[in-house]
Amino acid sequence: MVLMVAVALSSLLLSADPKGKLNIVNLTTRTGGTRGRPRAKIDQIRVNFNSTADLRPLFNWNTKQLFVWVQAEYISAKGTQNQIVLWDDIIQRKEDALLNLRARNEYVIHDLSFKFAGASPLNFTLKYNVMPYVGLLTYGEAATTTKPIPFPKPLEK
Amino acid sequence: MFSDTIKNVRKLGVRHVLLQALNFATVLASGLMMWKGLGLWTNTESPIVVVLSGSMEPAFYRGDLLFLTNPSSLRYQTGDITVYKIPGQSIPIVHRVLETRDVPKTNVPSRSLEKVPRPENQLLLTKGDNNALDDLDLYHGLSHIERQHVVGKVRGFMPYVGYVTIMMNDYPQLKYALLGSLGLLSLLQRE
Repeated sequence: MVLMVAVALSSLLLSADPKGKLNIVNLTTRTGGTRGRPRAKIDQIRVNFNSTADLRPLFNWNTKQLFVWVQAEYISAKGTQNQIVLWDDIIQRKEDALLNLRARNEYVIHDLSFKFAGASPLNFTLKYNVMPYVGLLTYGEAATTTKPIPFPKPLEK
Repeated sequence: MFSDTIKNVRKLGVRHVLLQALNFATVLASGLMMWKGLGLWTNTESPIVVVLSGSMEPAFYRGDLLFLTNPSSLRYQTGDITVYKIPGQSIPIVHRVLETRDVPKTNVPSRSLEKVPRPENQLLLTKGDNNALDDLDLYHGLSHIERQHVVGKVRGFMPYVGYVTIMMNDYPQLKYALLGSLGLLSLLQRE
């Protein structure tokens, strides 16, 4: 028990704030159904991105795993603030924490109104959550896009 | 052996037995007090929960202990791990936030200048790290969970310790045996 507390407290003293890069390569909008509503006309974006970040400093003796994700953020026409995870990954070994990604979104991104018309441009951020063997969970931001990217016009299908 | 203990009790007298019973009750009451006090401080109905399923593996396994807080001003963000409870279902679920939608209040008069959405207007979509799909099918018809369904945010983690409670739930006899022996011990113990 004492050992657990010691491990949890000591790892809080070690802080790392690694930074990397996040680039949006391609952004397109299409209109179609989703899992819950297969026949609806819902605007969805498809994002291709690449990212490099060295998250190895986040691994210390009390790091069980990292949870890493890319978040899209925008404000819709009605003023709703949206944060949506488009891609995530679990990293369990220090050797795998040197990220060099080329990926596209795993999750559907759509608006509550089903339309992106009138929405603010998008911001993208690479975030991480350090999950310990014992103790507190910590969060951080590793990279963000340099400037907001506007929604592309929907492609008719 | 049994007559020995009875003799023991007789020697100590009724007063002593009552005192021990009172002691036992104090222990129970202070335990409850600490639990409720912790709940008040963290603003959640259960500040400590035990993981019951494998849907957050490899982060959390069955029997791991989670510490929650739920300040009323807290906005949830993507990547936060929430514990939520859908009305009509008894088991709380521990899953990670995939989407947050801060909907501005529409029925507020325009004069109140409430630009920043308040936490109670937040809609969340969650997913278990170990699940392929999001939790839409768990919501019983809701399209998102609301702030009122959220029990708290996971802040701290301790492995395995909660497995005792799972054992006690799976084998109720164990619970009664443990409680009974604790009670007997405290009654028969000589100061």
